[in-house]
Amino acid sequence: MAMGSSRALLILSNFKFKPTVSFSSSSSSSKSFPSFIRNNFRTRNFSAETSSSLQPPDLPRLAETARISLAPNEVEEFAPKIRQVVGWFGQLQAVDLDNVEPAIRADTEGDNLREDVPETFENKEALIASVPSYKEPYIKVPKVLNKE
Amino acid sequence: MSVSSKSSSKLLKKSASESLLSREEALSPQISSWSTSLFECQSFILSHFSLLCSDKERVFHVYDFISEVKNHRNVALYCSMKSSQTQTATQEKQQPPKVKVPQHALKRTVDKFTRDYEAIIGIETHIQLSTLTKAFCSCPYNYGSQPNTSICPICMGLPGALPVLNSKVIEFVVKLGLAHNCKLSLNSKFDRKQYFYPDLPKGYQISQFDIPIATGGYIDLDIPLEFGGGHRKFGITRVHMEEDAGKLLHSGNGAQVDLNRAGVPLLEIVSEPDMRTGIEAAEYAAELQRVVRYLGISNGNMQEGSLRCDVNVSIRPIGQPEFGTKVEIKNLNSFSSINRAIDFEISRQAQLHSQGQGDHIVQETRLWEEGAQKTIMMRKKEGLSDYRYFPEPDLPEVILTQEYVDSVHNSLPELPEMKRRRYENMGLSMQDVLFLANDMNVAEYFDATLSSGADLKLAANWIMGDIAAYMKNEKLSINEIKLTPKELGELIASIKGGTISGKIGKEILFELLAKGGTVKGLIEEKDLVQINDPVEIGKMIDKVISENPKQFEQYRGGKTKLQGFFAGQVR
Repeated sequence: MAMGSSRALLILSNFKFKPTVSFSSSSSSSKSFPSFIRNNFRTRNFSAETSSSLQPPDLPRLAETARISLAPNEVEEFAPKIRQVVGWFGQLQAVDLDNVEPAIRADTEGDNLREDVPETFENKEALIASVPSYKEPYIKVPKVLNKE
Repeated sequence: MSVSSKSSSKLLKKSASESLLSREEALSPQISSWSTSLFECQSFILSHFSLLCSDKERVFHVYDFISEVKNHRNVALYCSMKSSQTQTATQEKQQPPKVKVPQHALKRTVDKFTRDYEAIIGIETHIQLSTLTKAFCSCPYNYGSQPNTSICPICMGLPGALPVLNSKVIEFVVKLGLAHNCKLSLNSKFDRKQYFYPDLPKGYQISQFDIPIATGGYIDLDIPLEFGGGHRKFGITRVHMEEDAGKLLHSGNGAQVDLNRAGVPLLEIVSEPDMRTGIEAAEYAAELQRVVRYLGISNGNMQEGSLRCDVNVSIRPIGQPEFGTKVEIKNLNSFSSINRAIDFEISRQAQLHSQGQGDHIVQETRLWEEGAQKTIMMRKKEGLSDYRYFPEPDLPEVILTQEYVDSVHNSLPELPEMKRRRYENMGLSMQDVLFLANDMNVAEYFDATLSSGADLKLAANWIMGDIAAYMKNEKLSINEIKLTPKELGELIASIKGGTISGKIGKEILFELLAKGGTVKGLIEEKDLVQINDPVEIGKMIDKVISENPKQFEQYRGGKTKLQGFFAGQVR
């Protein structure tokens, strides 16, 4: 799998980068995205054509890894939206990083550690109450062994 | 077939190692009957040659293997179990029967295997850290607590809860990395490893992926003489921090989850594929356990799952640079099961190769079945799992300063390997060295006894002999006995100086072990001083004779049996 230089692209490491394929269907479906995404599109004014692009995601597989079931019509509905998001991240590839020090994390503040001092979380009733199926003292879940 | 007595085991042990060493030459095609019988010997060893451990796994148990060539067709096997003083045998007390096998098939296996193949073994170990709280939240962790009592929104993965790293985890991983001669990454990070399983409510495990905190180290160890002896150095590929998952109890139509363990800090230690036998792998795990206990970063208890080993085993023709197909073995709960599972797996793969079925060895995960003493298929590996790692956005970069690393380095205790080399240089035998350095508390006790001026060899003998036996009988650790190292030194000096006899010394020892007190006090209290003055002794004898004129006459008349009577009166 080819890895982009941008860390953000790791998030989408499912998707293959393919410089030859470009996205051009952005305008028609961008309305369905939250406003901050559209704003970013406008203000940054990055053109999809100038950046390296991502291969469209295999939506059924994406849904499977996220344990989400999608009906065929939903796949049709979501595919262009997901493609939009991927395209947006793909634009990051165009950013010139030649003069930027490589970083392993975006923030550089460093450690925010705590002492090894026990503290008991008091409102355990609320925690247990939020468990869908609970039978003292265990959380009950469906069968998982020999399923895969 | 008889069981050899303890006294003869040493002698016979030698013949066992000799016959194993000569296995290669003995297997030449012309002497086929030899190879058959030696295979019997080998498969016997594969199934029974064990590193046994006490329930506390402090000390290893040893089977001595003895073979004696009766004639060219039969190799008789004898086995004796020698247990050192502080140990409890956990298994296989009965004498294993001679292995009966179809001769032609197995002869081929061993021929091909011993001449042409070698085993490649790598180990992944998870060490549960003995921090008071979990890795990313302040929930206390205590093994065996009521299920689902030590939980909070963070370790339950509830929305909006944010992890904060426990500083002890950093301290402990730096200690472990330095103890294993690793290079530390001064800048590293956490990553999310995605997988769906109910033992991990977040849907991902916080781990380290492409920048582990420690890499490129090694571990030194000494193989016990019973297993051939020798020093080994095994590479450590990487060490990284991650969180443990909860516990799942599977039942017929569902599963029960206990999240107490979810979020408890683990260190994953990946070895280089440097081991070649089950014994080497078991000794590697035993050394890791010693090191984490010396460092005080984990209790290293395998039964509780504080030290878990998954081993990868493959075999390949000698000289071939590529590895064969590797098989992962899980469910290894003791050093002896590591050893036996690996040797079983090697012989299983060798047998498949010898039958032209090398392609039946597939990449899979197998489970060690303690009851049946074999590995069974658990699941096939269908390609690499897609964990979709990405940097954990909720945690900042992990930054170590060189000053911090140096300060941890300076605080490291003397580690098992250093202790062994020091004891060896002092002139102790390897058997003594391995016993004394095995448990840090025993080693400290020994060192303290020496610093009170005690003789080296005598101190070692008392600790490994009567004191270890007492600890075993009373189920006490060396920190729980009442005898202080200083008084042991005193006792040794009193015997060596002739103040008391060795026999009286032993009596005093058991009194001191149980009740404490001082050697001087006990000698005075019981009036046990050994009288060395010949004049004083002469007076006592005169007194006894004059008080027993009748017996004295009988003695002079030839009833020499009365000698014992007089000796008793003098005492």
